[in-house]
Amino acid sequence: MQEFLLILKGDGMNHLSPDELQKTMDHCSDWINDMGEQYLGGQRLEDNGAYIGSKDAEVKTDGPFLEAKEIIAGYFKVHAKDQEEAVQIARRSPFLDLYTIEVRPIASSKM
Amino acid sequence: MSTKTKNIVEHLFRNEYGKLVAILTRIFGASHIQLAEDIVQDTLISAMDEWSKNGVPNNPEGWLMQVAKRKVLNELKRNKMKREHHAILKDHTPDEIGTVFLEDEIRDSQLRMIFTCCHPDLNTESQISLILKTLCGFCVKEVAHALLATESTINKRLYRAKTTIRESNLAFEIPKGKELEKRLETVLLTMYLLFNEGYNSSSGNDIIRKDLCLEAVRLTKLLSTHFSDNKKISALLALMCFHIARFDSRIDNQGGIVLFEDQDRNLWNKEMIGIGMGYLRSSLDDSSLSSYHLEASIAAEHCMAESFEKTNWNNLKKLYILLQRFKSNALIHLNLAIIESKLKGYEVSLEMLKKLESENELKNYHLLPATQGIFNMKTGNYKKAIGYLEKALKLKPSAAEKEFIENKIQECRESLLS
Repeated sequence: MQEFLLILKGDGMNHLSPDELQKTMDHCSDWINDMGEQYLGGQRLEDNGAYIGSKDAEVKTDGPFLEAKEIIAGYFKVHAKDQEEAVQIARRSPFLDLYTIEVRPIASSKM
Repeated sequence: MSTKTKNIVEHLFRNEYGKLVAILTRIFGASHIQLAEDIVQDTLISAMDEWSKNGVPNNPEGWLMQVAKRKVLNELKRNKMKREHHAILKDHTPDEIGTVFLEDEIRDSQLRMIFTCCHPDLNTESQISLILKTLCGFCVKEVAHALLATESTINKRLYRAKTTIRESNLAFEIPKGKELEKRLETVLLTMYLLFNEGYNSSSGNDIIRKDLCLEAVRLTKLLSTHFSDNKKISALLALMCFHIARFDSRIDNQGGIVLFEDQDRNLWNKEMIGIGMGYLRSSLDDSSLSSYHLEASIAAEHCMAESFEKTNWNNLKKLYILLQRFKSNALIHLNLAIIESKLKGYEVSLEMLKKLESENELKNYHLLPATQGIFNMKTGNYKKAIGYLEKALKLKPSAAEKEFIENKIQECRESLLS
C-alpha cells in the first residue's frame, strides 16, 4: 500500500448551478464512503493567497495568479496498492469533468 | 464513517442561493450583485466540500448563513478602502451586519431583489433572466435552457442588466407610495410572464418548465405576504394555481400534446383548484378588477366545468369581452372566435378566424392556422384542413406541436382515402 495525492486543478465548480453542486455533493459523499479506509483526507484551497516567484521578486497577493485551469483547487489523499488503483479511484470521483486530476504517489523513505 | 447528504431537501442549495444573494446584495448594494453571487457560490462549494466529507449539519440553512456571513466579513476586511461603496456600511458597523441574516429580514431582502430585477429600465427578457439567475438560483446554462436561448445570449443579457442597474444607482429598496404602485405593476407583469414562459411553451424539458411555473408562484406568494391587501396579487396567484392544476393532463405518456377538450379531468389537481378558488375569492372586492382577475375567472370557469361539453361558454364569452377592456390583443380575438364555435357552430367560428388572418400579431402565429385546420376537420373539409395545418407547420411550432400537427395531417389523408 502506498499513499497518493490526487491534485485537482481548475475552477470547474465555480460554474456549476446550485442544483448541480448539490448532486455533485451526493456523488462525492458516495465516492468517499465507498473508499472506506482507503480515504485518508482532503482539503479545498481558497482561490486567493500569495505567490512568491523568487527571493527578490515582489510577493503577489490576492490572486488569482494563474490561468483558471492551472489553479490548484484542492487535494485528496488516498491509500492505494499502486498507481493504477489510485487512478481508478480518481476516475470514480465526481470531479473529473470539472477538474484535471494529477495522481501522484507520495515519496516515502521506506521504499 | 458514513456521511449521508441525500436526505437534505431537494433544491436546498438552489433555494438558499436565492435567499443569500438577496441578503448579500442588500449588504453590498445593488451595484454589487456579481460580488454577492460569487460569495454565495463559494459558500455552496464550501458546503459541498465540508458536508460530503463530514456529513450534513443539523441546521444546514443556518450553516450556510454563518459561512456566508464570515465570507462577507472577510471580503469587507479585504476591501476596506472601498467601504464607502457598500450600501449598508454607511449606517452599520460590521458587527451589526448580522441583523440582515435574521428571518424577517431575509424575506425583505428577497422582495427588494424582486423589485431590483424588475428594474424599469430593463426589458422583460432581461428581468426574467436576472430573476432566474439571482432569485431562483439557476446557472446561465439552466436559464438558457429554460428560455430557449443560447448561453452566450444569456451571459450578455445578464451582464448588460447588471451594468444598467449599476449605472442607474437605483436603491436596493421596496419602493413606496406612488412609485410603488407603478413598480409593483411591472413586477406582477414579470411574474405573469415568467409563469407563462414555463406554461405556454411546450417545447424543451418539461420538468424545467414546470420549475419556472413553481418559481413564479413562490415569488408571487412572497409578494402576497408583504402586500397582503393587494387584490391583483391574489388574482394572479389564483390564475397560477388553476393552470398548475392542469399541468399534468396536457401531455400524454409519450410526451405528446393533449388537446384541451381531450384532457382527462381526473388528472386535474383538485386540491390545487381549491387553493386557487380561495385566492380568487379573496381577490374580489368592489373596487379592484384587473386582467389577472378576468384571466383567473376564465381559468376557474374551465376548472369548475364537469366536462368539456358542460363548459359555460356564455360566461366565458362575457369574461373575454371584459378582458378586452384591459388588454386588447389578437389572442383574445382568437379565443373569442374559438368560443363562438361552441355557441354558433364551426362555420361562424371559421369565418371569424378567417378575418383574423390579417391581424399583424397573428400573421406568424401557428395556432391560428392550426385551429382553422382542426375546425375544418370537424366539419369534414379535410383538403382545406390539410392546407391550414401545413401552413401551421411552417410557422415554427414546438417539437411536440409539430408532431401533433403532423398526426392530424395524417388523419386527414386517411379520411380522404376512405
